[in-house]
Amino acid sequence: MNSVLQLLNGGAGNLAAYLAAHVLLCLVPAFFIAGAMASLIPKASITRWLGRTAPLHVSYPAAAAAGSLLAVCSCTIVPLFAGIYRKGSGLGPAITFLFFAPAGNIMALAYTGSLLGAEFAFARFILCLLFGIGIGMLMSLLFWSDDARHDAQTDTLFADEARIAPAAVGVLLSLVAVLIAGTLKLWPLTVTIGAIDLPLSWAQSWQDTLFRWVPFDETKGEEGVSLQGSLLIAFLVAIGVTAYKGMENIVEGSNRWTWTALTLAALTLLVAAMRFTPYPGGLEIGFTGRVFAVGFALWAVWHYARRLAAEDCRSWLWEAWRFVKQIFPLLVIGVFVVGIARELIQPQWVQALAGRNDLLANGVAVFFGVFMYFPTLVEVPVARMFLDLGMHPGPLLAYLMSDPELSLQSILMVAAVIGRRKALAYVGLVAVFSVVAGYLYGFWVDRAGIGNLGLGLLVFVAVLAFAMRWLNQRRRNGIQAA
Amino acid sequence: MLTVKILGPGCANCRKLEAVARDAAASAGVEAEFVKVSDMKAIMAYDLMSTPGLVINDTLVSSGRIPTQAEIRQWMAE
Repeated sequence: MNSVLQLLNGGAGNLAAYLAAHVLLCLVPAFFIAGAMASLIPKASITRWLGRTAPLHVSYPAAAAAGSLLAVCSCTIVPLFAGIYRKGSGLGPAITFLFFAPAGNIMALAYTGSLLGAEFAFARFILCLLFGIGIGMLMSLLFWSDDARHDAQTDTLFADEARIAPAAVGVLLSLVAVLIAGTLKLWPLTVTIGAIDLPLSWAQSWQDTLFRWVPFDETKGEEGVSLQGSLLIAFLVAIGVTAYKGMENIVEGSNRWTWTALTLAALTLLVAAMRFTPYPGGLEIGFTGRVFAVGFALWAVWHYARRLAAEDCRSWLWEAWRFVKQIFPLLVIGVFVVGIARELIQPQWVQALAGRNDLLANGVAVFFGVFMYFPTLVEVPVARMFLDLGMHPGPLLAYLMSDPELSLQSILMVAAVIGRRKALAYVGLVAVFSVVAGYLYGFWVDRAGIGNLGLGLLVFVAVLAFAMRWLNQRRRNGIQAA
Repeated sequence: MLTVKILGPGCANCRKLEAVARDAAASAGVEAEFVKVSDMKAIMAYDLMSTPGLVINDTLVSSGRIPTQAEIRQWMAE
């Protein structure tokens, strides 16, 4: 009985610490960015480069761009994947798009960066980009006869052209600025510029109470809940309630609650950027450079959002809210369960299996990634737990690459669109490449030979590109001869 | 009698679209049969790049977003 309570306590503590510390400055803007991408970037502005006649050096980068900018959820991933494969530039770019989408989108990057560090986010982005293009090309080489048999349907689906409205670009860029200003740990954002003292006598005792409620062990990478954190959790709950009233029917128009929720969200970001220091008899609130940077970026968002068409603004808010509804509850449950698991898993187990960077450890990590299915983004707190428990960064990256790419759900979906044989080849390639990626990253972390590694990867992609061009030429000659 | 098809694998947006479309039909007093299409192959028969898609009498009228009730009423009238 006692141990069950301890487990639940671990879960709740992890959740509270997590909500208080990480979520706000990274996820709140990320949800708004994801919403803006889904509603304000016309699909045709990127898909016009994915038509049947697009040359290699256009279609593969365009497929990667589509993966990172258009594919924020499965509503877009599946139809776009099937569309590129059947009616657009073919198997290779479709695979690149599919592979890059879960790792290259803004939510995954922002979240990985804030939880695991910018270096990890960067490595995940670059390796997924290079290997996504590589795997796409390999698939296209393996099955090039299929691609050649592609029936000559008209590709009207990809003929549309569109541009992103300037106001939408402004909104997107200033939202990204909010995200960066809120999360980057750099001078001058971290400097305290001014401070005020509030004579709140309960501040210190409240802080002590919080630490007693959520005990934590720093050596295991756990965090407690600060006074500021408890305030932020209260803000989050208030946003949740007001957003439910204000966003559910936003398509038909905004109401009082919509504005309350938006104001609360902006306030939350500002409060989260401040520095709260309780001391006996009072509370010191420090205004960091971050407060001013976030404030300015928020003003920019407001400035550009006012120039959007009312309809665009509404669909932006709806999409953002939809992402919150879709992802946030699962994330909360996931973090809770991770907190319980952390109490159960002994660090020695993790260290014995994946504490070093070798092929076995990377293989185990990928195997775990393929057979475990975590909902969108939950892979990141899981990875954080493994990192805290002593997993080597190499295998950890291997896990991060294979888990979102290869769940049973995604494999079935891929099989339905491109057939079992190709799906099997895809799964095999992703598994092999994830092991290689983890090994390379681990090697780099251990020994810092980034130049050689980057060069090797570039050569690899270049060789593939040449092989494809040669095959395409042969195909074209074959068609002409016939 | 209209045939209204909702294209989508069953995500939040598809459910919302169905609700909006049903409300639109009810408020316009239009009799309509609602069909949910969740099979990917059937969905891909229409030219769309993002679900949910709304099909009225076999014409794709919108995709990738949730139209307002007024818009849907207008499409139903055509």
